[in-house]
Amino acid sequence: MCRFITKHGLGALLRAAAGKYDVFVPAQREGRGVYTRLSSNGAAVETGPVRTVDPLKAFFVKPRECVAEGFSPVPPLTENRPLCVVGVKACDLKGFRIQDFVFAGEEFRDPFYCRARNESLIISSDCTSALDTCFCEAFDERPYPRGDFDLNLSPVDGGYVVEMGSEKGAALIASCPGAAAEAAQGQTEARDRQRDEVSAKVRRNLKEFQVPSQQALEESVERHYESTVWKEEAETCVECGACNTICPTCHCFLLYDQKDAARMVRFRAWDSCLMKGFARVAGGANPRRELSQRLRNRFEKKFSFFPKVAGEYACTGCGRCISACPGKIDIRRVMKRLSEHV
Amino acid sequence: MCSNGNPYRLIRTQVLEVTTETPTIKTFRLKPDEEIRFQAGQFIDLTVPGAGEAPFTPSSRASDTAEIAVSVMRVGKVTAQIHALKAGDIVGLRGPYGSAYPLDEFAGREVLVVGGGCGFAPLRSLMYSLFDMSGQFKRLFFRGGCRKPGELLYRDEMKSWGERDDLDLLLTVDEGDETWDGRVGLVTAILDDVPMNFTKGVAIVCGPPIMMKFATQKVLAMGFRPENIFLSMEKNMSCGIGKCGHCRLGVYYCCKDGPVFRYSQIRDFPGIWE
Repeated sequence: MCRFITKHGLGALLRAAAGKYDVFVPAQREGRGVYTRLSSNGAAVETGPVRTVDPLKAFFVKPRECVAEGFSPVPPLTENRPLCVVGVKACDLKGFRIQDFVFAGEEFRDPFYCRARNESLIISSDCTSALDTCFCEAFDERPYPRGDFDLNLSPVDGGYVVEMGSEKGAALIASCPGAAAEAAQGQTEARDRQRDEVSAKVRRNLKEFQVPSQQALEESVERHYESTVWKEEAETCVECGACNTICPTCHCFLLYDQKDAARMVRFRAWDSCLMKGFARVAGGANPRRELSQRLRNRFEKKFSFFPKVAGEYACTGCGRCISACPGKIDIRRVMKRLSEHV
Repeated sequence: MCSNGNPYRLIRTQVLEVTTETPTIKTFRLKPDEEIRFQAGQFIDLTVPGAGEAPFTPSSRASDTAEIAVSVMRVGKVTAQIHALKAGDIVGLRGPYGSAYPLDEFAGREVLVVGGGCGFAPLRSLMYSLFDMSGQFKRLFFRGGCRKPGELLYRDEMKSWGERDDLDLLLTVDEGDETWDGRVGLVTAILDDVPMNFTKGVAIVCGPPIMMKFATQKVLAMGFRPENIFLSMEKNMSCGIGKCGHCRLGVYYCCKDGPVFRYSQIRDFPGIWE
C-alpha cells in the first residue's frame, strides 16, 4: 500500500525527524542540486528533479576522517547524530551496492561506514527529469528507486506518493499521525506515468549518445586491454581525480598519519587511481607509470573487477564524471568504444 | 551490517633489538603488547608514529607468538624512519593480513624454495615452519641468490642450514668477491641442480619482481604445475583489508587474497611482474 503526503506534511515529517537525525535535503544552487542541512525556518522542502552534484557516498565515507587514535582499540567514532538524507536518487542507491560490498562485506567491516549506514534514514525520490548526461538505464537501473530505501517519495500534484521500504521508514510515518493518508489510485497512476516518461527520456539519451547496454561490456576491457582507446582517451586527462571523487562507486582511499609522533593519529582520505603514485611501491617501481594505464585501471575496476567479484557493474549511469571532467572524457564514449569489436 | 572492533587499530609494540644485516637491510625484533599469531606468508603493517606505515612479511618463526621480527630494506620514506629506530622505541603494528603458504598441502611432497635478495626475509619464516614439520616432506630444497655476498641476508644462519640433513641448500651470488667461495651466477642457473620430481613437487618463489619473473618461467619450464607454484607478490598494499584499492592484481587484492598466490590464479592477468 502506498501513502500520500502533502508538501506541507513532508516538511512537518522532516522537522519531526530532525529531533533525532541530522537531516539533509537537496537545494538548488545555480540550477544544480546540492545537499544542504534542513533549515528550521519552515521553508518548503524539495526532493530535487535529478541527482545532486555531490555523491551520496560523501555522507558515509567522508572525504577525510580519523580512523585510529593512539593505540586505542576503540574506533574514534564521532559524536554526530544519525543521518537522514532526503531526495536520494536511484543512481546513488546503486552506489550503495558497491560501497556496501567494500565497506560492509563479510570480512573486516568498516566500523565508521557500518555505523553511518546502520543508523541512517534514507528518504529517496523519483527523478522527475533527466539530464543529458543521465544513462542509468544502460545498467538496467531506472530513474526511480526500486529498493534500498527507508521511504521513497514520488512527486505528484500537491505532494508525494510515499512507499515504505523498511520498518524504520514505516515507524517514521507512523510517528506523524495524519502525515500520510492512503494514496488514491489516480495518484499512483500519475506516479507511474511520470516514471515511464523519465525512463523514456533516459532511453532517448542512450540512443542519442549510442550508449551500449552493460551486457555489451562483458569482457570488453579484457578484449581492449592493448587497444589504442586508453592512450587516446587519456590524451586530455589532467589527472585531477574529479571523476573518482564525484563517482558514487569509487571507494579507494589513502591512509596517512598526522605528522606528530607524540600523538599517533591516522586519517583516511579519498584517493584517486588516476594519480601517478597510486600503485607505486616503496623503492619507486610503478606498475601503472603511464596515464593511459591508470585510466584503463579505472575502467577495469568498473567494468571487469566489480562484475566479477561483486556481480555488479561499478557504474550507476549518474553521469557525474561526464560533467566533472575538464578533459571532456565521456564514459559513454568509452563504453561505446569498448563495446565495438577490436 | 554491524561491526565490532577497528580494523585500522594499531597495537602498541616495543622495539627489542635492531640488527644490521647488510648495508641496506636491518632486522627488528618487536614485542607487541598483544599476541600476534601469523602464519608464514602473511604480512603485518608496521607504523612509525608520525611517519607512516609499511607492510612487511615477518621473518621470524610463526610459532613464536610473543615476539615478531621483520627484516626491512631501506628503500623509501617510511623504511628510512624504520631504520632510524632503536631498541626501546615504540611503534604500531596491525595484522596479520592476507594469505599464508598452505603448509598442509606441502606435506608428503618434494618442496623447492627459491629466494632472491630481500625475499630471504619472508622465506626464513617459511623455512622455520617447514623445519618444524621436518620429516613430513619427501625432500626439501632451498635455492637462493643475491647480487653480492655482502647483500646476503642471514649469512651465518644460512651456513648452519647448509649443515642440516633435512635440507638441500645451494646459494649463489651474481658477482663474487674474496669472501665468497660458493656459486656465482643467477639463481635460475642453480635450479638445474635440483634432483626432484617436478610434476609432483611444489615450488615457492619469493624475491624482487624481476627475479620472480625469471624464476617462475624457469620452474614452469622444469615441469612444475602452475597450481603448485607459490608466489609472494609485491604490490602497493596499504589498508591490508581489501578496501583502499591500491594493490589490485586482476580480480584480487594482493593484501587480502594474496600476498601468496598460486601462479595458476594470476597467470592470465596482464602485467603481473610490473
